Amino acid sequence: MTGKLLQVIGVIAVLGLVAGSIAGFGVLKDRIRVVIEADDTDLGPDPTALLRDDVQVLAGNLTGLQQAVASNFEQLANGLESGAEARHVDVKELQRSVSQLRGQLRQSDSVLAQLQAKVDALQAMQAQVVRAVPVAPEQEQSGNNVEAPVVEVPVATVADPVADPVAEPVVEPVIAPAAAKPKRGFLSFSVPSTRLAFDQPQEYQLLPKLCRVGFDAKSTLHDFTGVTSAVTGRFRADFDDGDGLCQGEVIASAGTLKTGVEDRDTNMWEHLDSKNHPQIRFAIERFQAAANGVDVAKRTATGEVVGKMTIRGKTLVLRVPVKIEVDPQQRVVIKGQAKLKLSDYGVPVPSQLGVINMEDEVVVWLALRGRAQAEAVK
Amino acid sequence: MVAGAFRWLALRGSASLLLLCSAGCIASNVVAPDERMVVEPLAERVFEPAPTRQLEGLFESCDIQGDAAVSLRKIYYLFSPDGTYTAAALAEVAGKFSFQTLDGIWQNDAAGLVLDGGDPVVLEQSGDYLRLVAPGGLVVLVRKELL
Repeated sequence: MTGKLLQVIGVIAVLGLVAGSIAGFGVLKDRIRVVIEADDTDLGPDPTALLRDDVQVLAGNLTGLQQAVASNFEQLANGLESGAEARHVDVKELQRSVSQLRGQLRQSDSVLAQLQAKVDALQAMQAQVVRAVPVAPEQEQSGNNVEAPVVEVPVATVADPVADPVAEPVVEPVIAPAAAKPKRGFLSFSVPSTRLAFDQPQEYQLLPKLCRVGFDAKSTLHDFTGVTSAVTGRFRADFDDGDGLCQGEVIASAGTLKTGVEDRDTNMWEHLDSKNHPQIRFAIERFQAAANGVDVAKRTATGEVVGKMTIRGKTLVLRVPVKIEVDPQQRVVIKGQAKLKLSDYGVPVPSQLGVINMEDEVVVWLALRGRAQAEAVK
Repeated sequence: MVAGAFRWLALRGSASLLLLCSAGCIASNVVAPDERMVVEPLAERVFEPAPTRQLEGLFESCDIQGDAAVSLRKIYYLFSPDGTYTAAALAEVAGKFSFQTLDGIWQNDAAGLVLDGGDPVVLEQSGDYLRLVAPGGLVVLVRKELL
């Protein structure tokens, strides 16, 4: 009995606990929040800090890389620059070598031309001897062996190959006509194939007999020209050079200027003080070509020659518009003129009794011919 | 005083008038721009063909034109009536002058002057002058006396 009572009590207690649990869950089900947290002792390093460290390391690496790249670029630039300088030096040396080779080639041409001339002369002499000593047929038939310099030239008569394909050329020995071999060159002379190089730096020598400089002046009654052929000078120029390579000097003798009237000439020489300043000099500094002013094919150029004119010991810059060409004789021809004032050069302007006055401004002009020096032609 | 001044004025006026008159007599000698260059006399000489000219004597070049003029400075020919010639040319090559000499034969006919059996060149004449026109240039020769 007691056992059964205890069983009932146990069942009732279990049921009471279950009911209480269900009731409690019903009351508290909306108030329960489950939070699962890691154990504090297992926390690792702060990822933000790690990220920050990584970023700092990357920034450091980037800075180092940047410096390395800059350094490398600088080294590369230095290397390229030194390489360019070395190449420039090499090119210069190469140019010098080419120039020397050209010179040697010209000398070789000269020697070859002389040898060719001698060979031609020998051939001509041989031909003359042949003509002067004809070979008599009787002598040939009799076997009389005359030591005449007979030149035999094989003249081939070729049969028609279609009619007789097996026919062989019939070679007949004949006595060659005198000087049968035509000589090459210009009028039988061996002339090197040279041409005036208009667009190359080269030296020109003025030809005094073919040069004139002068001035045109105006006076109260009539105009007049003073002119002289006592002109010398030389210059180095490349008329197609962008830097205007043209340097040299043109010198005229002041005491040889003539106007056609003796008294006027004497007066002019006094005004020019030709005893103390015997030369009128024009120092050429550069040639400034006009736009499209150089025609290399036609060998013409227009532009301005810039230089310093010295008259009566006074020097001033003067720009002379010029036209340059090459004449049939392969000489360079320069024509030009410019205005200047005598008073600028300290030359007293002539006047007679205050009635006949010469104008202060005159036109000076150049009419020059120059020969290119041989080493400068190509 | 007044008379003196008047005399001075009259004298000066007369002198000026005389000066003007004398100056007016002086012809202008202005050289035209086109005539400033030194004219080489051969430029105006007229040449004519010389197909039958018998060449004889010494000739010296007085003008050389064309590419040959770059190196040839002077040419001499001595033609003989028997059809032979001897010649010399002063050439400037690489800055050095040297003479080239030739001996050969010449023949002149309607085709032109043939030197040493080569291609004929045009032969023209004008008095004592000969002009040879070849592909490489032109030479004007003038007769010279052998003294």
